[in-house]
Amino acid sequence: CERRVASADTNWRRQSYPSELFEARTRSHKIPVRGQKDFIPTGWDQQRDRLQQSLDEHWNLVSEERVERLGNLVKAVWISSDMIVELQSPAGKFWQTMGFSAHGKQCLHPEEALYLMEFGNLQVFYQDLPLSIQEGYERFLYSKTMSIQHYQVFGHLKRLGYVVNRFDPSSVPSQYERQLNLPQSRDRSGRLLKRKRSHSSTSMEKDSSHVDPTTSTEGGQGRSWWSKEGSPDPDSELPGQPQSSPRWDFSSIPFPDLGSRCWLPSSLTSPDPCLLPRAVGSVGACDVAPWLQRLNLREVRMSRREWERERDRDRYRRDINQDREVRRCRNWAEYQELQERRIQRSRRDRPAHLWEGPVTPLHDPAQVTSTGELLDKISVIKSTRLLEGSEEWRICFNIYQSDTVAEFKKSAPGKPYSRMCVFDGPVPDLWTLKLLAFQSGDVPVTYAVVDHGDISFYSFKDFQIPTDVSF
Amino acid sequence: MDSPEQKITKTVSRVDASKESMANSRQVIGINFCGPTPLMWRADDLKSVRELGIIGTLVGSLARQPRQNTRLGRPLELLPEEGRLLADMGRAAVIPDSTNEDPEVNPEQVEQYHAGLENSFQEQGALALEDRKATLMRVMTKKHNENSGSQEDSDGAVRDRLEALAHGFSFPRTAMAVQLCTARAGLSHCPEVRRFLAADWPIPRDERSETRFRVFRDLRRQGFYLTSAGKFGGDYLVYPGDPLRFHAYFIVVCISMDESMPLCDVLAIARLGSNVKKTVLLCSSGGSQEDDGEEVVYTSLQWSGMV
Repeated sequence: CERRVASADTNWRRQSYPSELFEARTRSHKIPVRGQKDFIPTGWDQQRDRLQQSLDEHWNLVSEERVERLGNLVKAVWISSDMIVELQSPAGKFWQTMGFSAHGKQCLHPEEALYLMEFGNLQVFYQDLPLSIQEGYERFLYSKTMSIQHYQVFGHLKRLGYVVNRFDPSSVPSQYERQLNLPQSRDRSGRLLKRKRSHSSTSMEKDSSHVDPTTSTEGGQGRSWWSKEGSPDPDSELPGQPQSSPRWDFSSIPFPDLGSRCWLPSSLTSPDPCLLPRAVGSVGACDVAPWLQRLNLREVRMSRREWERERDRDRYRRDINQDREVRRCRNWAEYQELQERRIQRSRRDRPAHLWEGPVTPLHDPAQVTSTGELLDKISVIKSTRLLEGSEEWRICFNIYQSDTVAEFKKSAPGKPYSRMCVFDGPVPDLWTLKLLAFQSGDVPVTYAVVDHGDISFYSFKDFQIPTDVSF
Repeated sequence: MDSPEQKITKTVSRVDASKESMANSRQVIGINFCGPTPLMWRADDLKSVRELGIIGTLVGSLARQPRQNTRLGRPLELLPEEGRLLADMGRAAVIPDSTNEDPEVNPEQVEQYHAGLENSFQEQGALALEDRKATLMRVMTKKHNENSGSQEDSDGAVRDRLEALAHGFSFPRTAMAVQLCTARAGLSHCPEVRRFLAADWPIPRDERSETRFRVFRDLRRQGFYLTSAGKFGGDYLVYPGDPLRFHAYFIVVCISMDESMPLCDVLAIARLGSNVKKTVLLCSSGGSQEDDGEEVVYTSLQWSGMV
């Protein structure tokens, strides 16, 4: 029993003798395997001995202290005013995935520093004395952004091999940026060089996703179509085009149809000099004949079958140029007005009791629409985006997979594998789930529940009820 | 094996625990809070507390193998009920958080630290030299045995080599082994000092935590070992003996006496229990406000069929 007390004393004393430190070089790094568990306590000696053996192994492992070569330790200093650890000797291999530069020095976040301390790579000094792991926990995990629960999840994932760093909400690319596939740029302190967005942009982000780039190329508006909604972006990097009305009045400029079979002018009058470039000045009338010769006005020779097909088609097709009313239109605008009038006329046979009262039908059958739009019109439940959220639920970490560690670059980390939200209380409600999923963009969110040291991971997958309709 | 005589119904570890607790009865264990979480850092405290039946959960990296999650190391995180039970028994006290007081650099302590480091360096250097000499001796003796030259020549050669080694040997500072302490140095073991420093229990008390505590205390009194049961959908897991060696018997769900539980919740927890082969215990404590004398009511759920 005395011998046991002596060895126990060695284990419990915190500071080892130099001889013990020296011997620690050859310490085993293996962890004993735990045997099978029993179901019923029988009180037999065999069971008691096995329990005692397990307990002894357990205390041996738990009481062991970390011993490292001084040359393997990176020295650092804790700066409590900034809640940051500043390295004083060059960083080791961990610098590839952890840490950031600030004021020309290499720095670590408190959770990263604590993890490296537990790993045995880092020695942090405060007021010229080295901090123990306990002091690290008590000093570094002081704030609500990085509590002990967050650190437990952080440590758990890092021990599994993932690359974990803090989440910055402004680093999530908007839907539009993702469409453009812009490369993400980061400065050395880990913050993304984001485009400064005006404050009204959070609601505008919803709208910008619906703007289809190909539809709005009308007139002289040119490339300024994406800043047309809301207030213009003050720091826009795109060359600003003035939003001016078109300079030309197309209703008065004639564009003769030289290929028309019916009307062949012999010459064209000179155009208005204001339409021409200044250097050209005025030009005379244009002789059309040589140009017409270059046009292919030969009749197409069709085979009998093709001729028959054309004839059948023509039976039902009416040449729009034969329409007398259309011929009376002098330009495109008048033609559109004619179309409008014709549509209005067809509408006049709408029954008054349906269309003149305060409640009108939802849809006019004469109107052309797709099935999808029609279903949208008659839908009662609309999918919604819940955007206003609470402060207590936030995404804390970005997780990158371990097999990408070799090519991982802090300046261009790429898209994370998942984002982590840590909590230890009741399950988050639907509002929170939707909000965090939206905040995270296209990266799935994983929820880590910490129950008194026990960590479980959950994820909620968003699901859209499929509609059987093509829009 | 004396099996036929011994019909043990209670766990054996309880008998051992009472003996050990008598020996350690003077010592008060310190609990440090990190925010609202009670932690314990010293290995001897962990051992004493386990003998009282408090298991806790290890949440730090294991010193020997920090790159895995199956076995973790210090600190030990306690359930709030475990901490409260220890405090009520008078066996533990809360050590107030001293990180907020930011004293100036203590030159005495710094000097002590550096002196200790220097001393360690010298000793380790001497040990390294001895080690190398021993290796050299071993090698040379082996060579001598093989060559079988004259005794005097070999002795002289050995002496020369040893001298050369002693002259040329240098132990670089970077090769020195340094300990990275887990627990904070400082407070003495004297229990009187600890009692003075004890702060109030900082965890707020409400009805739910009261119920949980009473159930915990009652089960502990009956000799069971309890741990948290986050992965099983309950409040505690109940073991007949030390969790290192035994499987859990029950999953405990604490509900207050007058709370009504929807049927689907009962079905869900019963299904869960039968899937993991454990019995579910619904526990409620009597509504009285006094600490003693109230009883805890247990209801067990077992999935059975109609045959």
